[in-house]
Amino acid sequence: MMTLTINGRKVELEAPVTILEAAKRNGIDIPTLCHHPALELWGGCRMCLVEVEKMPRLQTACTVRVADGMAVRTETPRVVAARKAILEFLLINHPLECPTCDKAGICALQDLTVRYGAVAGRFEEGKRVFPEVVDDPVIVRNMKRCIMCTRCVRMCDGVQGASAIGVIEKGARSHIEPFSGGRYNCEYCGNCLAVCPVGAIMSKLHRYTYRPWQMEKTVKTICSFCGVGCTLRLEVRDESIKRVSAEFGDGVNNGLLCGRGRFGYEYVDSPERLKTPMIRRDGRLERATWDEALDYAAGRLLEIKKENGGGAIGGIAGGRATNEEIYLFQKLLRAGFGSNNIDSIARLGLLPAQKILEDIFGQGAVANLISGIPRSEAVLVVASDPTRTNPVMGLEVRAAARAGRKVIAIGHIDGLRRHRTRRLEAKTGPGQETMIMAGLLSELLKIKPLSGENPEFEEAIKAWGKTLPGPDEVEKATGVSALLISGTAADLKDVSTSSIIAGRELASSMDIRTNMMMLAALGYILNSRIFLISEHPNEQGLIEMGCSPEMLPGERPVDVRTFREKCEQAWGAGINPEAGLTLMEMIEQAGASIKALYVMGEDPAFGLPSRGRVKEALGRLDFLIVQDIFMTGTAAMADVVFPALAWSEKDGTYTNLEKRIQRLKKAVIKEGIEDWRILAEIGKRAGLPSRYRGVADIFREIAQVSPIHAGLGFESIEEGGVLWPYKGKPLSVSSSPSSAAGRFPGSGKAVSISPPPDRNVLKLVLDKPLLHSGTLSTHSDALMDLTGGPEARLCPETGGKLGIADGDAVKVSTGEGQISLRARLESGLPEDALFISNDFREAGAFELFGYQLEPESKTPVLTVQNLKVERL
Amino acid sequence: MIKYLLGNIDNPNAAEIEEYEKAGGYRALTKALSMEPEDVIGEVRKSGLRGRGGAGFPTGMKWMFAANDPKFPKYVICNADEGEPGTFKDRHILEKNPHVLIEGMAIAVHALKAERGYIYLRGEYPEAEKSLQKAINDAYRKGYLGFPLHIHRGAGAYICGEETALIESLEGKRGQPRLKPPFPVNAGFFGGPTVINNVETLANLPFIMASGADSYLKIGSPECPGNKLFPVSGHVERPGVFELPMGTTLREIIYEHAGGIKNGRALKAVIPGGISAPVLPPDKIDCPMDFVSVQKYGSMLGSGAVMVFAEGTCLVKVAWRALKFFEHESCGKCTPCREGTGWLRSILERIENGQGREGDIELMEDVAGNIAGNTFCPLGDGAASVALNFIRHFRSEFEDHIGTDCRKMAVL
Repeated sequence: MMTLTINGRKVELEAPVTILEAAKRNGIDIPTLCHHPALELWGGCRMCLVEVEKMPRLQTACTVRVADGMAVRTETPRVVAARKAILEFLLINHPLECPTCDKAGICALQDLTVRYGAVAGRFEEGKRVFPEVVDDPVIVRNMKRCIMCTRCVRMCDGVQGASAIGVIEKGARSHIEPFSGGRYNCEYCGNCLAVCPVGAIMSKLHRYTYRPWQMEKTVKTICSFCGVGCTLRLEVRDESIKRVSAEFGDGVNNGLLCGRGRFGYEYVDSPERLKTPMIRRDGRLERATWDEALDYAAGRLLEIKKENGGGAIGGIAGGRATNEEIYLFQKLLRAGFGSNNIDSIARLGLLPAQKILEDIFGQGAVANLISGIPRSEAVLVVASDPTRTNPVMGLEVRAAARAGRKVIAIGHIDGLRRHRTRRLEAKTGPGQETMIMAGLLSELLKIKPLSGENPEFEEAIKAWGKTLPGPDEVEKATGVSALLISGTAADLKDVSTSSIIAGRELASSMDIRTNMMMLAALGYILNSRIFLISEHPNEQGLIEMGCSPEMLPGERPVDVRTFREKCEQAWGAGINPEAGLTLMEMIEQAGASIKALYVMGEDPAFGLPSRGRVKEALGRLDFLIVQDIFMTGTAAMADVVFPALAWSEKDGTYTNLEKRIQRLKKAVIKEGIEDWRILAEIGKRAGLPSRYRGVADIFREIAQVSPIHAGLGFESIEEGGVLWPYKGKPLSVSSSPSSAAGRFPGSGKAVSISPPPDRNVLKLVLDKPLLHSGTLSTHSDALMDLTGGPEARLCPETGGKLGIADGDAVKVSTGEGQISLRARLESGLPEDALFISNDFREAGAFELFGYQLEPESKTPVLTVQNLKVERL
Repeated sequence: MIKYLLGNIDNPNAAEIEEYEKAGGYRALTKALSMEPEDVIGEVRKSGLRGRGGAGFPTGMKWMFAANDPKFPKYVICNADEGEPGTFKDRHILEKNPHVLIEGMAIAVHALKAERGYIYLRGEYPEAEKSLQKAINDAYRKGYLGFPLHIHRGAGAYICGEETALIESLEGKRGQPRLKPPFPVNAGFFGGPTVINNVETLANLPFIMASGADSYLKIGSPECPGNKLFPVSGHVERPGVFELPMGTTLREIIYEHAGGIKNGRALKAVIPGGISAPVLPPDKIDCPMDFVSVQKYGSMLGSGAVMVFAEGTCLVKVAWRALKFFEHESCGKCTPCREGTGWLRSILERIENGQGREGDIELMEDVAGNIAGNTFCPLGDGAASVALNFIRHFRSEFEDHIGTDCRKMAVL
């Protein structure tokens, strides 16, 4: 305990914080420019100088720690004079172009000048001038405005870990430049411009179209580009979003964003947005009124149900729908049309993976806080790259690496390549992570003492572990040295807390069960928080809200009567007791047992592998309803199209990959009807009474039906969201460890691992672009300016062998189909891999991939046959 | 008088290891290696050796702080980034007597149980690099060095002579001073406890170890024992580097050792410790040159670099040139130094060009006053003090210069 005085006021503190922090906690404001709570201490601007008794010089409040008995004065005449002097120094070279600077009104330098009074201009020489740099698609640099606080550099270096910018030259000529020159060669997180206190680094989006004080409203909502669920602020004027920002201290992201979140919002205002409902008449989609479309859709579905039974109708939902919409969607299919054929894109990885882990550890096995990652002693990243798919979670992994934690990358994790990690990379491309993980696990089982917390489970994994391939075997198969594997295991020997991050690469695999069992075993041995990467903002919601053929809301099995009865009572309709068809099964059955499909916020004709076959199947349907915001490939085939609302136009909730329920809030709607109303209206026509006045009412119903959401209301989901286990009851499969052994199925059998792929054969790998998230973000101009278009990435050596140069147009074909796109040669990529993403409409990888269903989880596992790459 | 720093300087082969050995070299190291590291530190503490880089911090105490830090590895860095204008003393050791430095470093590395040593060498000293590297190679060959000793050449930034900026630069980063605390003795090079000593400081160690602290204490002044190198430049008959006991007066240095003012002119001003040290008028030259006394005379010993200005020198021009230096060398980290040094230079420039205005001197005092005490590191203080002290001692010359172009009368 220490006591000091600030401005004569007695202040008591437990631990020595900086003077700035001590003052702040006591409501005393000390001005700062270079200081930022998220960044390394700097002490450069000298704005926060204060007087400390017995110290002859003024001290920087942001760097000096308080000591017992200290007497601090923050606004004495001497301090004020020094601050005025600092402002004068800053202004001698700062252009007074506030009238044309977009920062005016929210500029720290401007505010401080107002606070301490303008000075007479005593500096008569010319100001330092740098030309404005507008070479970059989204970031404008105006270095004559720079005050050299270096917040951007410290952000880029010390938080984002991109190290793309630095201070150039010295003294008064110092300024900030990307190492790449005019255009940035970076991750485009834009966190640099978020911390710029002046107008030196700014977003080019909506430049000169608004003044900050003219914003009509600011709405705090959740980002819709991935499963992290970052808190965003949408600033609105003239019915459109002008700026997306994040406040430090807010949300899971603590003020950080990625490029998609910060610059990807423009699709909302795309002229290509669907505006009116459409009905197919004489083979053509034509505009219709809402009533026409709703009547027609409901009427046709009822007809089909009558003729073929509810089982002939299926529903597919996307991961951007809110919990309320998903809930209503599955309710509509289950209660309105008597069908359990309902599934979602979560089937592609998250749902089956999570399910296996929950079978072992109990519900909530993957509900862990992202903020815990850098606090773990070790972090294992397996196969999937969090810095690409869940960028802000990736930052926590980088933070762990920076803090000296043991970060281990199993597989080619691009985003960690330049960070302090131990890399267990197969000599050649991806697909060998299962083997590497097995080697590490078998070695760990040998050397790491187990906690003894759950002897039965330990016996099970030990027995199972005996059949795992050892490091030598793994070296033979993958080229990862046995020494590196055993060294890594030795390094992990004393670890008592850790995090494991894995994603779709492990789930979308014939080895999914082995992979998840290994994750579980590693998780137990290393006392890990397990995180499953989630590509969509509400993928977790799809699972929890019952958007799967086998589970009702609250993840209750549909074949258990008591759970069914609870829903039947609430919905006033019977529920089919048998689990329905999964995602790919519905497609495969299209035209056969499935006659009609209702697709909400998803584009199966583009977003599922074996695109040719999927399209054919959709064509065989009697009736197809698509609810989407753009005319997608699937929508173009539909019989009825409902225009949906974008994320910024909706109220509701999203559940992120930590199982944190957060509020999505409407910023602005130009036109359209909320998605939940469309579902409710069809429900009404199918005999489901709807008494919802808004999404809060739907949520109230969810809380009644779903035991895990019991007791929750919109009121309770405000700041920071609600964390698992919410207030409700997890599924009563006991999560006590003793029963876990019993749920380590297959532990009696030997481990089965598919043989690693042939190293000499070029492999097609599904790429994840950092700046795109499905085709949705390709409607955002800024992101398109940054990325250009579809690319096939490969390493220069392979390019050389194939006679392909950087930028060449290439044709890639497989047994499934062919696409043409540009080749991009990137050093550091594995030699036997060709990376193509499925995010660009003109050329998506799912044209090339086939699939095979993993028999147990029904996850489509990507397959490739006869891959050929030719220069065009 | 004993000369142990540059005693053998007249021997053209002084830099050769055999010559150095012949003169008794490396015996101090052998002796130190036979002692416990703690005892070596004790001897250095007892000797009262003070750092020759400018601040005069007791070397033994610095070592003790680093030795007491439980962290390993520890490092010893020699600051050979001699950049203070007027200073060229270390260069003579580096080029002419490198083994005395290498022996000193070996003693320090032993005393501190350090893992390795670095010599951060001024980039503009290519000759020094050659002789130093040869000397290091020879010392390895002869088996004197049991630790890695590296030379790192700087890239020309004055600020890298500041110890924390030096560490940043050595780590491969932009040369800018770091926040203190933590001090380098606790968290220096890559976070390890690090002792940074000036070339001349380390070069004092062989004598201290060989002859003992008691003999050392007999040299120089009581509070600042030992010999000091005084590089003398400017309007003197015999400019050069002089090894003299601490406490030798400025008068003796200028008039006896440096041969007096050139062409028998009168002394106008003298800077006693490199450009950052406040200028002194002629009536202060009886000042004994040691850390304590110079301060009493209103300046500082700094690097001991004596810059002599004879009657007829335009001091506005001297001040302008000094500020131009500081403006160029300001790293840009903190506001007052980054923006203020250039402003002061520009005011001096217009006065020098005969375009000074009423109030310019007061403006300069105000701007310099706003820099002084408010900067991140001492560079800004040095710049402000140049402006303030030239005005303080030679105000009338500045006043007379307003509106006059003196360039024709200046005889430099």
